[in-house]
Amino acid sequence: MQSSKLFRQALAIGIATSLGFANAAIAAPDAGEYQLGIISDDTGPIASAGISYHDGADLAIKEINEKGLAGEGVTFTLSVKDSASDAARSVQATTQFAADRNILAIICCVLSPNAAGVSQFAIQSGLPVVIYGATREGLPQEPYITSVVALPGPQEVLLAERMAAEFAPKKVAYIKQSDSDIQSARATKVQKVMEAVGVETSAEVFVLGADTDFSGPATQAMVTKPEMIFVWANQTAGIGVITALRQRGYDGQIVTSDIISPPAVFEKSGATVANIPFAVSFQPGVSDSSTAQAFIDAYKADYGKLPDVYAAQGYTAIHLIAQGMKSLDGKPTRKALAEAIWNITEIEHNVYGGQQMENGQARTPGTLIVNWTKEGEVKRWEK
Amino acid sequence: MQLFLEQLINGVSLGSLYALFGIGFGLVFATLGILNTAHGAYASWAAILGYYAVEWLQVPFPMAVVIGTVGGGLIAIIVDQVGFQPLRGRKGGMLGALITSIAFLIVLDSLAGTATGHQSWAFRPGHYPDGLIDFGPIRVPQMQVIIIAAMLIVGIGMHLLVQRTRIGAAMRAVGWNEEAASLGGVNARVVILITAFLAGATSGLAGVLGGAATANISYQLGEGLLLKGFAAVVVGGFNDVRGTIIAGVLLGVTEVFVSQYLSSTYRDGVTYVLLLGFLFLRPRGLFGSGSFIRA
Repeated sequence: MQSSKLFRQALAIGIATSLGFANAAIAAPDAGEYQLGIISDDTGPIASAGISYHDGADLAIKEINEKGLAGEGVTFTLSVKDSASDAARSVQATTQFAADRNILAIICCVLSPNAAGVSQFAIQSGLPVVIYGATREGLPQEPYITSVVALPGPQEVLLAERMAAEFAPKKVAYIKQSDSDIQSARATKVQKVMEAVGVETSAEVFVLGADTDFSGPATQAMVTKPEMIFVWANQTAGIGVITALRQRGYDGQIVTSDIISPPAVFEKSGATVANIPFAVSFQPGVSDSSTAQAFIDAYKADYGKLPDVYAAQGYTAIHLIAQGMKSLDGKPTRKALAEAIWNITEIEHNVYGGQQMENGQARTPGTLIVNWTKEGEVKRWEK
Repeated sequence: MQLFLEQLINGVSLGSLYALFGIGFGLVFATLGILNTAHGAYASWAAILGYYAVEWLQVPFPMAVVIGTVGGGLIAIIVDQVGFQPLRGRKGGMLGALITSIAFLIVLDSLAGTATGHQSWAFRPGHYPDGLIDFGPIRVPQMQVIIIAAMLIVGIGMHLLVQRTRIGAAMRAVGWNEEAASLGGVNARVVILITAFLAGATSGLAGVLGGAATANISYQLGEGLLLKGFAAVVVGGFNDVRGTIIAGVLLGVTEVFVSQYLSSTYRDGVTYVLLLGFLFLRPRGLFGSGSFIRA
C-alpha cells in the first residue's frame, strides 16, 4: 500500500516535471508585430551622440526581425519620440508611450536626470524601460527599469593605473566638468588612483558643459606645468578643452574618456585627438568578436560610416528586450516582459565579447585602452 | 604675472567676440527698433558656411571668413525682408517683431542643426591659423590675435560709419524717426537693407572666428553669443558702438578672471550680478544717450 502510494507520488512528480520541461521547450511568444518605443535625442545639445544610439537601435530591430531573434514570427517596430534631451519632453514622451497599450517597452536616455524622470513615471505606469546611456548609480528598479550601460569607475581606474605605471608622472592636472555629476565622479576616480601612487595634483580646473571658450581653463591648467592632463567632460566641452590645450602648445600627455571614440570626432578634429589614450568597451578596428564584426559591417552598410560606442549601446538595449521577449510564452504583457528582462544575467547578443547583467544593471565589459593615430585608425594604446 | 597676462588676453579675445556680435545686435535695435534674437542664428550659419567653404570648396581660411561674413549679412537681409518688413507696413510694434525674431531663431537653428547633422564641427588643424605667436614669455594663439584685431578694425570702422558718414547719419535718422527721415530725403528702405546686412555680417564674422577659435561649429554657436552680446549692448548703451566694444571686452575679461580667481561654477552668476550692479548705477549704459527712446 505504502509502495503504491510512493509509486503514484513519483509518477505524479514525473508527469509534472515532464510537462514542465515540455512547456519550457515550447515556450514562445505569440507570433506578431510588437511595438517598442524610443525616447531619442535626435536633436538638442547632445544629438551627436543621440543619433548614434538611435541608429544602433534601428539596426538591432532590423536584424531581430530578419533573423527572428525575438521568437518565431515575432517582429518589432520602433516608435520614436524625440526629447531633444529635454527632461520635461522626456517625461511627456513616457506618458504618451505608457498610454499607448500597443507599446510593450521603451528604451531611452543619455542624460541621467532625464532617465530618472522617465523611470519614475514608467514605474508608476508599469512600462518596462531599458536605459542605454545614462550612468547614474541606482537607476535600475526591479522589475521595470534596467540599464545596459555600465557604471563609471572600473574603466577609469584601469586607465589611470596604466598611465601611472607607464609614465610615472610627478604632477598631473585635472580638467573636470563641474555641472555633470557623472563626469566629476569619473574624474575623482582617476584622481584617487593617481594620488594613491604619489602623483601630485597640480591643478583642478572646472568647466561647464555649455561653455564654448576654453582658453581660460587651458591656461589655468598649463601654467602649473603638469606632465599629464586628464580631461573629463562631455563631448563638446571635452574636445573644446583638448583643442584649447593643443592650440596653446601643450606638449605633455593628454588623457580623456570615450568622448573621443566616435569616428565622427576624428573626422572633425583630426590630429588634435591623435595619441590621446582613452578607455572603451567597443571600438571598430579593435573589437574583434564575430558579433562585433557583424555589427560593424551591417552598420557601415546601412549608414555609410563606422559605428561608435553609443550606437553599440542602442543596439544592445534592443537586443536585451528581444532576449527577454524570446523567453516569454503566449501573449506578452509589459509586466512579464519587464520581469524577463530583469532576470537576464548575460546578454546573449552583444558586441563586447561578453556582457553580464546584475540586478538589472550591466556590469563593465572588457576594457580596451586605445588611441587614434594621426592617420585616423584606432589602435591599442602603447606608450 | 604670466598667468595674469595670459588670462587677460584670453578674456580680451573672448570679449572681442561678444563685442563683434553685439555691434550688429545694437545696430539693429538702435536703427530698426528690433530686439532681434535671430541674430544668434546668423553667427551659427556664417560659421557653417565658412566651414563648408574650407572643407568642401578648399578655399583658404581668409576667403572662408569673407564667405561666412557676407553669408551672415545676406541671411539677415532675407530675414528682415521676409519677417520684419511686413510688420513695419502694419506698424506691428516691438513685441510683434520680437516674436517674429524668436520664430526665425527657432527655424534657422533647426535648419542649421539639420545642415550639420546635429554634430559639432571644427576646422581641421592646418585649415585655419592654429599656430602660436610669441610675445616674450607669453604665447598667444594666432586666432586670438586675429579676433582682437578684427574687433578693433570692425569696431572703429563701424563707429566712423555711423558717426561720420552720410549713410551713418541716414541710419541714425531712420532710427530716430523713419517717416521724418523719409520726408527729409532719406531712402529708408535702402538704409534698412544696409543696416540689416551690416548687422548680419558682424554677427557672421563673430561666428566664423569664434567657431574656428573654439573648435565648435554647430547650431548652438549663436546661442552662446546671444545672451553675452545682448549684455554687452545693454551695458554699453544701445546706440553707441564704443560702449558695446568696451562692455563686451569687460564682460569677457570678467568671465575669465572670475573663473581663474573665484570659481567657474559661479562665473555667470558673478558676472551678471556685476552687470546688474553697473546698470543700477548707470541705467543708460556706458555711452547711451538720455534721449534714446527705444531703450
